[in-house]
Amino acid sequence: MVHILNSVLSKFFEIIFLPFQNISPWFGMIFISLLTGLIMLFIFKLTSDQEGIKKTKNKIKAHLLELRLYKDDLRTSFKAQGHILLSNFKYMKYSLKPLLIMIIPVILILIHSNFWFAYDSLGIEETALLKVKLSDDFVPTELDTEITANDSIQIETAPLRINEQNEIDWRFSAQKAGVHEIKIKIGEQLITKSVSVSQNPLSQISPFKKRKNIMDQLLYPLEKPLEKNSFVKSVEITYPSSGFHVLGINFHWIVVFFILSIVFGFSFKGFFGVEI
Amino acid sequence: MNKNKLLIVLFFGGLLALPVSLSAYIGPGAGFAFLSSFLVFFLTFLLAVFSLLSWPFRFLFKLVKGRKSYKNSLVDQVIVVGLDGMEPTLLEKFLEQGKLPNLNTLKQKGTYKRLDTTIPSISPVAWSSFMTGCHPAKHNIFDFLSRDPNTYMPDLSSAQIQGPKRVLSLGPYKIPLSKPVIKGLRKSIPFWKILGENSIFSTILRIPITFPPEKFKGHLISGMCAPDLKGSQGTFSYYSSEKTDIGEGGMVIPVKIHGNQVQTYISGPVNSLRKEEKEIRLPITIDLHKKNNSVSIRVSGQTHHLNTNQLSDWIKITFKPGLGIKIRAICRFYVSEISPEFKMYLSPLNIDPEKPSLPISHPFIYSVYLAKILGSYNTLGEADDTWALNEQILDEDTFLKLCYDTHKESESMLFNALKKTRKGLVACWFQLTDSVQHMFFRYLDKNHPALKHTQCEKDEKIIEKLYMEMDDLVGRVMDKQEKNSCLIVMSDHGFKQFKRGVNINSWLYKNNYLSLKQGKTHSREWFKDVDWKNTRAYGLGLGGIYINVKGREQQGIVSLGEEYQSLKSELKSKLEHLKDEEENQNAINKIYDRDEIPPGPYKGNCPDLIVGYHEGYRVSWDSVTGKVDSTLFQDNTKAWSGDHCIDPALVPGILFCDRKINKQQTGIVDIAPTILKLFGIHPPEHMDGSSLI
Repeated sequence: MVHILNSVLSKFFEIIFLPFQNISPWFGMIFISLLTGLIMLFIFKLTSDQEGIKKTKNKIKAHLLELRLYKDDLRTSFKAQGHILLSNFKYMKYSLKPLLIMIIPVILILIHSNFWFAYDSLGIEETALLKVKLSDDFVPTELDTEITANDSIQIETAPLRINEQNEIDWRFSAQKAGVHEIKIKIGEQLITKSVSVSQNPLSQISPFKKRKNIMDQLLYPLEKPLEKNSFVKSVEITYPSSGFHVLGINFHWIVVFFILSIVFGFSFKGFFGVEI
Repeated sequence: MNKNKLLIVLFFGGLLALPVSLSAYIGPGAGFAFLSSFLVFFLTFLLAVFSLLSWPFRFLFKLVKGRKSYKNSLVDQVIVVGLDGMEPTLLEKFLEQGKLPNLNTLKQKGTYKRLDTTIPSISPVAWSSFMTGCHPAKHNIFDFLSRDPNTYMPDLSSAQIQGPKRVLSLGPYKIPLSKPVIKGLRKSIPFWKILGENSIFSTILRIPITFPPEKFKGHLISGMCAPDLKGSQGTFSYYSSEKTDIGEGGMVIPVKIHGNQVQTYISGPVNSLRKEEKEIRLPITIDLHKKNNSVSIRVSGQTHHLNTNQLSDWIKITFKPGLGIKIRAICRFYVSEISPEFKMYLSPLNIDPEKPSLPISHPFIYSVYLAKILGSYNTLGEADDTWALNEQILDEDTFLKLCYDTHKESESMLFNALKKTRKGLVACWFQLTDSVQHMFFRYLDKNHPALKHTQCEKDEKIIEKLYMEMDDLVGRVMDKQEKNSCLIVMSDHGFKQFKRGVNINSWLYKNNYLSLKQGKTHSREWFKDVDWKNTRAYGLGLGGIYINVKGREQQGIVSLGEEYQSLKSELKSKLEHLKDEEENQNAINKIYDRDEIPPGPYKGNCPDLIVGYHEGYRVSWDSVTGKVDSTLFQDNTKAWSGDHCIDPALVPGILFCDRKINKQQTGIVDIAPTILKLFGIHPPEHMDGSSLI
């Protein structure tokens, strides 16, 4: 079930980001923010008590005007402030239902967008770590390991076993562009992990592969999960994190997405007659 | 909590608990709520801090600036409840019958008196005297209408609205480069301005002749004479698939039913942005649901469902004259029939108080504040659509619902103001008493001619119920009075039956004071067929007679001086003996010569003679609009069956005050000086009235 959902959504995001893959990620970001803003507007309109929100907002505005109109009257001013706070709580109550309903699509959008915007693929000759986390019962130094990859990936170090963290690490460097595969044998278990090298400015990158459970499958949908009873908990590649530069400052993609989707939502609320 | 609810909570809880940093942000939905709420919290906090920190300074400033306010004041608060047209004889009867317990308490505690009204006894005149403490010659309001001596055409007496002085011509548009000119014509100073100068705060609600609103220390929402969006004193629209004629007060918009739909328009204001000045029309589609006897009205991007014989709430509509400008209005619909004919009433287009296209309050944001806290409300001065009942477009119950809804809006404003104005003046005007008595007074007289011709679904109890409801209102106001407060309940004039109409212009014509153009035996409205070069006098408005004075009127022929004086005396003498032979009764009680009424700088705008009709009489409907024919007296068969535009001596108002008043003669001009005195302020010399306290 989760697998089907992941496949459908991954494909969907691939399709919608297809026109933006070879251009600046800003375009993809603007597009997904606009789409999210509009979807959320519709959900908000359909699931909220629009009349109640309007009335409550009017009350808030009225009491704000009251502060201006009765500025010399301390008692009225404080009462107005009290009313504003109460109405604000009421407003938040009205927002709760649409908010709960929005959580589902928004989390799915965020999960998938994260793989498009949060990481950069590795550059040629860029090094990265491959980290394998084991279950608590297994001691890294007691397990045999073997790692293989094609010419595109060069394993630079022998495995580093950190017993305290139940972790085995390798350092590798990327040699050729493309999506490659690293094969790791730990004990008797064979695991594969994809590696993205010199991909398009906007590309889907999967840094994690996790043991099978519903939550992790939802959160890391791009690769087939590890077996449920595997003693390997996760496999991770440390891709460089990505960001959006505005006036020389690097912003996390989620900040940009937050601002843009809000801006689009507010910009179109009048057009679609949505009371927010 | 049932199992399903628990599962839902757990599901969403689980989603929120997802172990990724992303769950800290759950999309624009949360963003919307978060941003708005945060802004409100932040703003409220900021304002609270600012209020607290600045209060000592403001208090000191107030202390220095207004150190004299309330120093000699006898009270902290004065409340004026203005019940337009409450009639003393009826009130005294109901008081005696014990039907008005709250007013009786007020009488026992303080004073009840009859209150002399103004000459003439018309609301805009009387309420102008109330607010200025002056007789009409000092405040310049003598009627609803004044006349333009150049054209002999009527003008609104209280305000002038003119387009902008400078415009830029651009293609089909003329873009205004200056503001439109809105000029109040009422002169003298309202007493609340004097209170404000003495740092006493006032809230003035719907008092007549307060449009355009003037600056003062306090809040004001305009009342009677504030226009509708079309600039008129209230024009309703009647949509009908049947051929219909309407006399006055409204317009008929013929419609055709296509299948189950009616497509028509709302007639808006004239588009002053375009060189070709045409009315703006707003398309409207009405879907008829014959099965359940209801309609869906689609207008301004909204759909409103309405059953037949049901009044809609206030509906917001937007006119778009071009260049991105929006003119907003509010209105109410009433569909009386959808099959076989379609009949729909649309109220006058009120200026939307939330986004007013003309200033209707002081400060400007006060109307916005009231709309946001109380909801949409009537902003038209003449709030109750008496014309629609007069023309039998509305039935009596629907008319009453409209009136009582408006009354409730005014009540809400009053009680909001009482909460906020614990020190100072609160004055509120209620039109309900005037409107209901105008339209239902006939039920008090079984011989009223209107009872034979109009819808008669009610009985005399309707007036009694009205007075009892006003008593209840007074009781609720008494409950909200502050400790050291004074309550005044008053009316501007009383009420009498209007059974017979006198066409004063026909009388002037028959007696050779007014001439018609050659070959004419009658004149259409607004004197279209009058021969001014041979006319010595003409009647205009609800009681005015003007002499066609040489040099004053465009085609005047009567010289000022002896000729003018003797003509006035002649008319006075003849009219005071004008007999209605059919009823064997004098129609006129007294003619008031403007030279005999209290003087003032605007006496020149007063009609030369004011007709004081006898009880049962009033100027006829035709005469008011300048029609001339051979009929002198006519039965009044309209629902508008009670009136007060008669001899002012016959229609005094009422005055209740919870303080003792020893003065024998009390007049409406005494109220302003009395309130000033209550606040310890000496009334200015120019006021004609004197304090009753």
